[in-house]
Amino acid sequence: MFQHNSGTALPSQRTEIPFLLQVILVLLLALAGTGCKGEIPGVERPEYSLPLDVDISSNEPGRYGGIFVTAESQQPRTFNPLVAEDAYSSEAIGRFLNGLTFYHPLKEEVVPELARSWEISEDQKSITMHLRRGVRWSDGEPFTASDVMFTFKALFDERYPNRYQGQYTIAGEPIGYEKIDQYTVRFSTARPYSPFLYVIGFIGILPRHVLYDAYEQGELLQKWSIRTAMHQPGELVGTGPFSIRSFRPGQRILYEPNPHYWRADSKGRRLPYVDYLITRYVQDRNTETVLFVSGQIDVSAITPGDVVGVNRNSELHDYTVHHRGPATGIRFIWFNQKPGTNEQGRPYVEPHKLEWFTNKKFRQAVLYGFNREGLISSVYFGRAELLHSIISPANQRWYNPDVRKYPYDPDRARELLASQGFVYGADGNLLDQYGNAVVVDVYASEGDDITPQILSTFRENMRDLGIRVRVRYLDFGTLVARISRHFEYEAAMMGFTGGADPSGGRAIYLSSGRLHLWNPGQEEPHTEWESRVDQLVYASEETFDPDERVEYVHRMQEIFSEELPLLFLLTPHTYVGLKNKWRNVRIPSMGSVIWNIDELYLEPEH
Amino acid sequence: MVKHLLQEILRRPLGMLCLSVLGLLYACTIFSQFLAPYLPTDQDLEKAYHPPTRIVLKDWRPHVQIYEQVDPAAARYEPVHGETAAISFFAPGREYRLWGLIPAETRLFQVEEPHRIYLLGSDGTGRDVFSRLLYGAQVSLSIGFIGICITMTLGFLLGGVAGYFGGRVDFLAMRLVEFIIAVPSLYLLIALRGALAEHFEPEQMYLVIVIILSLIGWAGAARIIRGMALSLRERPFILASEVMGQSSIKVLFRHFLPNLASYLLVAATLSIPAYILAEAALSFLGLGIQEPGTSWGLMLQQAQELKVFTLNLWWLLTPGAAIFITVITFNVLGDVLRDIVDPRQQMIKR
Repeated sequence: MFQHNSGTALPSQRTEIPFLLQVILVLLLALAGTGCKGEIPGVERPEYSLPLDVDISSNEPGRYGGIFVTAESQQPRTFNPLVAEDAYSSEAIGRFLNGLTFYHPLKEEVVPELARSWEISEDQKSITMHLRRGVRWSDGEPFTASDVMFTFKALFDERYPNRYQGQYTIAGEPIGYEKIDQYTVRFSTARPYSPFLYVIGFIGILPRHVLYDAYEQGELLQKWSIRTAMHQPGELVGTGPFSIRSFRPGQRILYEPNPHYWRADSKGRRLPYVDYLITRYVQDRNTETVLFVSGQIDVSAITPGDVVGVNRNSELHDYTVHHRGPATGIRFIWFNQKPGTNEQGRPYVEPHKLEWFTNKKFRQAVLYGFNREGLISSVYFGRAELLHSIISPANQRWYNPDVRKYPYDPDRARELLASQGFVYGADGNLLDQYGNAVVVDVYASEGDDITPQILSTFRENMRDLGIRVRVRYLDFGTLVARISRHFEYEAAMMGFTGGADPSGGRAIYLSSGRLHLWNPGQEEPHTEWESRVDQLVYASEETFDPDERVEYVHRMQEIFSEELPLLFLLTPHTYVGLKNKWRNVRIPSMGSVIWNIDELYLEPEH
Repeated sequence: MVKHLLQEILRRPLGMLCLSVLGLLYACTIFSQFLAPYLPTDQDLEKAYHPPTRIVLKDWRPHVQIYEQVDPAAARYEPVHGETAAISFFAPGREYRLWGLIPAETRLFQVEEPHRIYLLGSDGTGRDVFSRLLYGAQVSLSIGFIGICITMTLGFLLGGVAGYFGGRVDFLAMRLVEFIIAVPSLYLLIALRGALAEHFEPEQMYLVIVIILSLIGWAGAARIIRGMALSLRERPFILASEVMGQSSIKVLFRHFLPNLASYLLVAATLSIPAYILAEAALSFLGLGIQEPGTSWGLMLQQAQELKVFTLNLWWLLTPGAAIFITVITFNVLGDVLRDIVDPRQQMIKR
């Protein structure tokens, strides 16, 4: 009976098999199709001879191969260094363009990049740079002093406003540049300027042969947009380790090795080793961490709160979470100390409040009364430290550990307040000597998960001191307009990312600085200590003796920590996860983890 | 009519269940200051991400288990064997003003400082999630009522007037409705919030948001009411009252309102959860309530971090459960109400 049944069923099955097969075939084809699409073809490495002044890597020689995948929550907005304002664009540009010099994050000093060596003149006002001979652009054209001249001409051109113009204006005058011969250029500054070698490396040298026509026609800023990267990535010619192979906005950017790159290993093989470098664009930091934990990307920054959770998967996907030490940025709350009135004649800060804010003892009392230690143990899981200085402890070379410190001490805070004539009212609120209740509005930008926790704690701590704090959250643009244009605020919270050389912070330190937040753009220093800071900053920029510079910067930090125009908060420790299969990894305490991406290679068994 | 409705709801098991759950939730909200052991802003930085405390019986009195932090880096706490703190009921604590008016200091339960009772654990700065949930309910549960009061009033007035008078009034009212419907609400919210944020305290933002939400939410109701009013207008009793010289206002409130009441009631019940969800969604996007205020949406937003999952901080997700229960109860209650007031069903019964 069973056989009979199956026998009758056969004919109908026969008619179905082809259909099923079709479905399977279609599925297989589709799979194969996606397989082809997802498979990245092997990279071609044309054998061009190495340049005369090739830079030989001192690291162990590796082997070719492998794909390095990173993720980023934001994508570049441009590939034109004269247009780029944000870190994400700058990072992408840095992959295919090189500067003349490079700040080595491990040696903590400036090392040659496109310049092979340099000499500083007797009067320390002119610097002669010798370029690497025989370097070629990624399209095979030779790199010469004309490219350097072209870059600086474009940068100082009035038609093309860009952020480097301010950077390269020293003592009110743009730096001078001239071509000596095909491989020699000379720069000159109006005054001796010791951070010169550091800042000159910021701008990526542009290829004259590609961009000259656009420059002449006044269209330089329209060149090298994200559309160029999407449709003609070959136009993005550089000297860096990579060239852009394809760019899909919102998805990923794919870099391939530059066949004319000017670095090689000790076996004479041209760097970089990796076949491809891919940056995936993801929604937010959480997504990036999840991708890393599931083994889909090779490197990711890990927040202090996620370290334990991420570590749980480290065996499965063979990665390590490295501790990098304190973050380079600084975070602070500050009080508006700007005197004067706005156009309508209203004072920026009410006079009686201005009196509190300009009183250094008041600012010190507030910091003494803020339980930052508690924040570290709760919000940061103990993975952060107090910030005592305007320079982060991550910047070991310049950081001064012996500045005045303000540990949590509410009694000391009350004493200080009492010594300045503040008294407590019947309801426990703090009153100043004229009987005004001490109430402060603090502005902060929304959109950061840590900010509300810091400010809620600040508010609670201040309530214990009798100070009423009201917190208002604005979007970042509104906040910046308020603190830098309208000046109508009482206090605010913000942060700065840190650079390697303190010359990057001069806009904050100098009393005339644009980012001298508590009272920006002063024509003459308002206070005695601000003029002392100004002198120290100028002095540190004029001396070429490294130890003397450090000494000036240390003294500057002592003044800031004593006067406390910015109430320093804390600096979280930074962590980075990296797959163990990569060799030659050298993790610096600051800056990008994969700063030496050209030297990374896959360990042999992979 | 209300009495009749209540009887009908209580006759049905589902209705009874929903009504009692909602009654409990709202009672908790009204007496949150009495029920919550702490203020929503009370921090304890030593006890961040504390797990829910165990309640043990000691000498036949409830005690709370005491924990110690064993690994600050992973926020891991272990119970200390044998160490407990007594829970005191109806004991005086820190003073507060019930509903902002009546000075009081009694709380339902509390634990002597420095120990703390965390029925639902604590958040990143050691604030009690249970207390925050209760205080957050004040926002999350009232937002719907304030919202529907505005939308239903506006909807009834504009829709009723449009339907009753017809003609040019109807034309103008309906074009206004279409205009409102055409406004992309999310963008309007983001823009208004950005523009208004500076002028309001975070605590007041709550009201601003309800008002924005309801001012763009009334248009749909107005349209339906206008349609119902159009058909009501032709009914003989309306014609009769008109002939007898009743004023338009009187007709609108004496005859239209009772006839539309059943629809209004059902629509209102069904749109309350929409407001609760809208508040949660806005706070989740960072457009709603902000610190130091609290609401269920805001609490969820603060829990949208990877560590909540990797460190198993499940108690931070309880506001989600609270939203879920509230919304589903309101929806079921709306369904029951619709069954009760549906005229066709009433006809079948008779």
